[in-house]
Amino acid sequence: MATEAAPMDEKAKRMRDLLSSFYTPDPSISTPTSSISTSFDNINGPSFDADQYMDLMIKKSNLDVLLQRHVQMAAEIKNLDTDLQMLVYENYNKFISATDTIKRMKSNIFGMEGNMDQLLHKIMSVQSRSDGVNTSLFEKREHIEKLHRTRNLLRKVQQFIYDLPARLQKCIKSEAYGDAVRFYTGAMPILKVYGDTSFKDCRRASEEAIETIIKNLQTKLFSDSESIQARAEAAVLLKQLDVPVDSLKDKLLEKLEQSLDGLQINPDEASKLAEHNVSSKDEESNNQGPAKIHEDAVRGFSEAMRAYREIFPDSEERLFKLARALTTTHFENMELYIRKRVSAADFLGIFREYSAFPPADVLLLSNSLRIIWEDVVLMDEVLPEAALSDLSAEAAQVTLKQFVARTFSHLQQDISDTLLKFDINQKEVVDGEVLKVVLEASGKAEFRQLLDENTGIFVKMNDLLIGWIQKGFQDFFSEKIHAGLILVLAQLSVVIEQKVIPRIAEEITASFSGGNSQAFIPGELCRVFHAASEKLLQHYIDTRTQKISNVLRKRFKTPNWVKHKEPREVHMYVDMLLQQLEEVGKEVKQILPQGTFRKHKRSDSNGSNTTTSSRSTTLHSDKMARSNSQRARSQLFETHLAKLFKQKVEIFTKVEFTQESVVTTTVKLCLKSLQEYVRLQTFNRSGFQQIQLDIQFLKAPLKETVEDEAAIDFLLDEVIVAASERCLDVTPLEPPILDKLIQAKLAKSKEHNNNNNKTTVSS
Amino acid sequence: GPKNLKSGPLRSSARNQRSQRAANRRETFLPESVNVGSEATMQGGSSGIGYGLKYQARCISDVKADTDHTSFLTGTLSLKEENEVHLLRLSSGGSELVCEGLFSHPNEIWDLASCPFDQRIFSTVFSTGESFGAAIWQIPEPYGQSNSSTLDCVASLDAHVGKINCVLWCPSGKSDKLISMDEQNLVLWSLDSSKKSAEVVSKESAGMRHSLSGGAWNPHDVNSVAATSESSIQFWDLRTMKNVNSIERAHVRNVDYNTKREHILVTADDESGIHIWDLRKAKAPVQELPGHTHWTWAVRCNPEYEELILSVGTDSAVNLWFASASSEKQASERSAEASRQRVNPLLNSYTDYEDSVYGLAWSSREPWFFASLSYDGRVVIESVKPFLPRR
Repeated sequence: MATEAAPMDEKAKRMRDLLSSFYTPDPSISTPTSSISTSFDNINGPSFDADQYMDLMIKKSNLDVLLQRHVQMAAEIKNLDTDLQMLVYENYNKFISATDTIKRMKSNIFGMEGNMDQLLHKIMSVQSRSDGVNTSLFEKREHIEKLHRTRNLLRKVQQFIYDLPARLQKCIKSEAYGDAVRFYTGAMPILKVYGDTSFKDCRRASEEAIETIIKNLQTKLFSDSESIQARAEAAVLLKQLDVPVDSLKDKLLEKLEQSLDGLQINPDEASKLAEHNVSSKDEESNNQGPAKIHEDAVRGFSEAMRAYREIFPDSEERLFKLARALTTTHFENMELYIRKRVSAADFLGIFREYSAFPPADVLLLSNSLRIIWEDVVLMDEVLPEAALSDLSAEAAQVTLKQFVARTFSHLQQDISDTLLKFDINQKEVVDGEVLKVVLEASGKAEFRQLLDENTGIFVKMNDLLIGWIQKGFQDFFSEKIHAGLILVLAQLSVVIEQKVIPRIAEEITASFSGGNSQAFIPGELCRVFHAASEKLLQHYIDTRTQKISNVLRKRFKTPNWVKHKEPREVHMYVDMLLQQLEEVGKEVKQILPQGTFRKHKRSDSNGSNTTTSSRSTTLHSDKMARSNSQRARSQLFETHLAKLFKQKVEIFTKVEFTQESVVTTTVKLCLKSLQEYVRLQTFNRSGFQQIQLDIQFLKAPLKETVEDEAAIDFLLDEVIVAASERCLDVTPLEPPILDKLIQAKLAKSKEHNNNNNKTTVSS
Repeated sequence: GPKNLKSGPLRSSARNQRSQRAANRRETFLPESVNVGSEATMQGGSSGIGYGLKYQARCISDVKADTDHTSFLTGTLSLKEENEVHLLRLSSGGSELVCEGLFSHPNEIWDLASCPFDQRIFSTVFSTGESFGAAIWQIPEPYGQSNSSTLDCVASLDAHVGKINCVLWCPSGKSDKLISMDEQNLVLWSLDSSKKSAEVVSKESAGMRHSLSGGAWNPHDVNSVAATSESSIQFWDLRTMKNVNSIERAHVRNVDYNTKREHILVTADDESGIHIWDLRKAKAPVQELPGHTHWTWAVRCNPEYEELILSVGTDSAVNLWFASASSEKQASERSAEASRQRVNPLLNSYTDYEDSVYGLAWSSREPWFFASLSYDGRVVIESVKPFLPRR
C-alpha cells in the first residue's frame, strides 16, 4: 500500500498535466524536457507508445508484477475516468453558470443605455459645478497669490526695518543726514503702525538715532558758522522730520529779537556821537566807532533776516513784524529820548551850553533819524514787501511831530514858568533868547533833515513839517497861554524867515550840487513863516485888545449911564486899561526890536499938523479958562470943527515888527473900542462928565507910550465927541475941577505905586 | 415929481453939512445930490452911489415887498433932533438913488425892519434916551394928503421893559408873525395891520444870565429863531417857546442865516471876525473869516449867491467875502496847494467910509446890489457884479 500512495501523487500530477495540456493549445510548451528519457515509458508523456510499453512490460516483469500492474492500471484508469468525469461535470457546471451569467448579463444589460445617459448627464452637471467652484475661487486664489507676493515683500521690508537702526547709525557716522531722514521717513509709517509689535526694539533704536540726527540738525541750524545753504537744508530736513519748526523758528526769531536789543540806539551813545560831531569834527575815526558798530550790527541783522527768509519762506509775516518792531523800538527810543531831552532842557544852564553849538538834541534827532533810515534801507532790501520805508516814514513823521510838539510844549512850559516869576525883566529876555535859539535850531534841524536825507520820505515831510509848525502855533492859540509867548513866537517866525531859511537855502545849495532841490523852496517857506509871523503878531494884538475890551465892556455895561452920579474921581477902569497897556509895552520891549524913531520924523514932515494941534490945545485951555458951560459947549463944537479940518487920521495902519508899532496899534484899537462902547450908551450930564474926566486923564500917559500922538489925540477926541453925541445934556466939566480930580488921581496912583514898590522890596 | 421936491431941501441940507467935511477930506464921494453913476470911476475906484442922511444913523433895511423897485428904508439916530425915516429908491438904471419918501419919526431909531409882505409897513426899535420902545409903522398913501410925512403907527409892541434889541419879521413872507427881543425876553406877536393891532402870542424869558443882543429868523424853518446872547447863540423853537439848542460862543454881535443853504449860519464877533456854522455839526465853525480890523458889526448872506457874504465893521469898511464853506469837504479834499491858490476869501473891501459902518442890507430884488450905512449917515449902494461867481 505504501506504493500506492506514491503513485497517487504521480497520478494526480499527471492528471493535472493532462488537464492542463488539454486546455493548453501548444503542447510543446507544456511538456518539459525531463520527460525525454522516459518518453517511451512515461505514460503521461506525449510520445508514449502503448505497444512498446507492453513489450517492455512483459519482457521486464513477471506475472505478479504484471498483474499488479494491471490492477494499478486499472485503478488509474478508473481514477482518471472519474477525474475526467469530474472535470467534465465541473466544466459543464461552469458552462451552465456561465450561460446563466450570460443570461443574467443579457437581462442586466437591457437598461444600460438609459443608465448610461443618466450617468452622462450627471457627469455633465458635476463638470459644470466643478467649473463654478473653480471660478468662484479664482479671485481668492488671486488674492492669495498677491498675499503671497506681499508676504515676500514684507519679508524684505522686515529685513529693511531690522536693518534701519544700523543704517541710520551708519548715516550719522557719515553725516549723510539727508539719506537718514529719507530712510527714516520711509520707515516712519511702518514704525508708527507696527511700532508696538515686533518692531519695538527696532523702532526705539531708530528713534534714538533720529533723535541724535535731530539734535545734530538743530545744532547745525543754530550754528552761525554753517553756511546758509546747509542751515536751510537742515531746516528743511527738520521740517521733514516733523519737528515743530515753528517753535524752532520762534526760538530763532527770539534769538533774533534778543539780538535786536543790541541794535537799539542808545541815546547816551548817540549823544556821545553827536557830541563828537559837535566838538571834534576832525576826529572822524573816533566818530566812526559807535556808528560803525551799529552799522555792522544792523547789517548782521539784515543778513540774518535774509537767511531766515530763505530758511523759513513762510515766516515773512513774522519777519515783517520783527523788522517793524525794530523800527518802532527805534522810534520809541527816540521818543523816550526826546522826552528825556526836552525835560532835561529845563535846566537852562545845560541848555545854554548846548545853545553855543547848534543844540545837540536836535542834531541827535537828525542823527538818529538818519541811522534809522539807513537801517530801514538795509532791511528794506531784504524785505521789500514789509513796506518798512512807509512804516518808518510814518514813524519818523510821528516822531518829528512829537518832537515839534514837545519842543513847543516845552517852550510853552518854559516861558509860562518864567513869566510867572516876578523878576521877569532880566530872565525873560535871556529865556526868550534861549528859546529863540532852541526854536531856531529846531526849525533848522528839521530842515537839516531835508539836507541829510535826500530821499523821498523827507521830501514828503517838508510840507508836513510846515503844517505841524503851523499847527503848533495854532495849538498855542487855542490854549489861552500867556500873550507874551505869542509875541515871542511871532518874533521867532520873523527870525526863521529872515535868518534861518536863507541859511538853510545856502546849505542846500551847498549840499545838493544841482538838481533835486524841489524839496526845498525857500521862497515858499519864507512866505509861510512870514504869514505865520504876521498872524501871530495880529493874534498877539487881538488877545491883548480882547482883554482890554473885556475891561471896557464891563465898564460900560454895568452902570446906568442915564442916571449917572456926578464924577468924583477918575474911574478905576482907567488904571486897568493903563496897566494892560503897560504890560503890552513891557512885553514888547523885551521881545521886539525898536523901530526907527518916528515921532521926530513926523513932526519934521508934518510940522504944520502938529502946530495946529498944539494950537488947538492952547485954544482949548483958553476956552476952558472961560469956564462956563455955554462956552464949554461951544468948545465941543470947535473940537468937531477941528476934527473936520484935520487930515483923516489913518487909525488902522499895518502893524510892523517894532515895539512902537505894536503898542500904538493896541492903543488905537482900544480907543476905538472905547468910542464904540460910548456910542452904544446914552449919557446924562454926569455920565458925560465922567467920560470926559477919564479921557482927559488918559491923555497924558497914552501920549507917552505911543508913537502916533496925532492919532491918539484924534481918537480921544472921537471918544469925547461920541459921548457928547450920546449925551442928553452936554455940560463939560469945568477945567479947574477936571484938573483937581486928575491931580488927585495922580497923587493917589503915585502913592499906590510907592506902596507897591515897598511891598515888592520888602517881599 | 412931488417927492423929489420934498426931499430936495433935506438933501441939500445934508449936502451942506457934508460938503463942509468933504472939503478937507479925500474926495472919495461927490456931494450926495450929485449921484455917482456906477460907470463913473472915482479916485478911490469907488463905484458906489451915495446918499446922505441928516443925522447919524445905524440901520437900513431892504424893502423886500417892493417888487417893482429896488428900495431901502433907513432911519436916523439922533438923541436931540427930530429923527427921520427915508425911503430910498434905486433908479431903474441903477445909477441914481432917489429919496422916495421922508417921514418924521418920534425917536432915535436903533433898529428898522421892512415888512416882507407889505412895502408900506415897517418896524422900528427906538429910544427916548431913557427908555426903549418898538412899533410897527405904515407909510401913508403916496398921493394922499399934504401931511404925508407923518407915519401911521399900526401897533406899538409895548411888552418890553428893558433895552429892546430888534424886531424880526417872519421870513415866510405872508405870515403876520413878529418877534421882538429885549435883553431878557422873546415876544412873539401876531399883527393885524387892518385892525391896527398887535397881540402877544407868547412871551418867554431867556433868563437873567443870558443878555440877548439880537437875532435872526430861520428862513428854512419858520419855527426857529436864532438869538445871540452874551455867552452863546441860542436857538428857540417858537411852537414851545423854548431854547432848544445853543452854540457856546461869547460876544456874538450879529447873526444871519444863509437863505440858499439850509443849516448854514453866519455870525460876527467883536474880536474874532466871522464864523460860518453848519448847524448839524455845530461844535466848531465850518469856516472862519478874519472879519475886520476892529469889530465886525454885522454880516449878511446874499439872498441869491450863496457863497457871498458881506460884513461891515467899525473900521469903516465893508468887506465882501467868498465863503465856499458849503463845500467844506471839497475844500479838504483839495490839498494845501488848492487852498494856497485860493489865497484870500476876501473879494473886495469897500473902504470909502468916514466912520464906522453899522447898517447893511442886500437888495432882494437885484441881489448884486447892497446898501451900507455908516454912522455919519451916509448910505452907499454898491454893486458886486464884478465879483459875482461865474455860473
